[in-house]
Amino acid sequence: MKKRFFTKPWLPGLGLGVAVGLGAAAVVLGERLANPVSGLCFGLAGTLGGLSGSRLIMARFDRTWTPEERKEIERAERDERNVAIREKAAYATWYWTLYLLWAAFFLTLVLGSGFPTALVSVIIVLHCAFYMVNVNRWSKQL
Amino acid sequence: MTNRIAQLRKERRISQAELADAVDVTRQTIISLESGRYNASLLLAHRIARYFGLAIEAVFLFEEEDAP
Repeated sequence: MKKRFFTKPWLPGLGLGVAVGLGAAAVVLGERLANPVSGLCFGLAGTLGGLSGSRLIMARFDRTWTPEERKEIERAERDERNVAIREKAAYATWYWTLYLLWAAFFLTLVLGSGFPTALVSVIIVLHCAFYMVNVNRWSKQL
Repeated sequence: MTNRIAQLRKERRISQAELADAVDVTRQTIISLESGRYNASLLLAHRIARYFGLAIEAVFLFEEEDAP
């Protein structure tokens, strides 16, 4: 059984509050903050705001569902065909991401930029390494 | 792999929704199984066969071409 991201009902509200606080702090402090810190604040605010906001919206819908609708949604979530569809989609997405990364790699080579080429290379290596780690992990479990 | 789900269901006057409910899958999965677009897992095949009171091989027809 998958664990829910937000197990406590008040966490999304807190997350949204923190996100707004971080965003507001970055805006108010402006130039007084170093660029990386400001970027980090906006990045964290965006991520936290997105996750918490979506969870709050989902909770709002959750209250409007009838028990039958909720049962049907839960069934659709664990339905083996739906699980197979998600796995196939994730598998295809992994390859598409790899092709995109290779495209970006060659583009940076053509443009002759050093740091982006190195960065994309590292991302390609990590992308493949995560795949191999997961293959190893699942081969032990199955 | 072919199956006799649609035939068995019609014989017993069971709707796709009822079968889906009984074996805990969505109606879309039953539709896909009946049309042959999706092959059931062993677990689901077992549940469907048990629902009809038959053996798996009486519901799901394995053909030599299905072998890898």
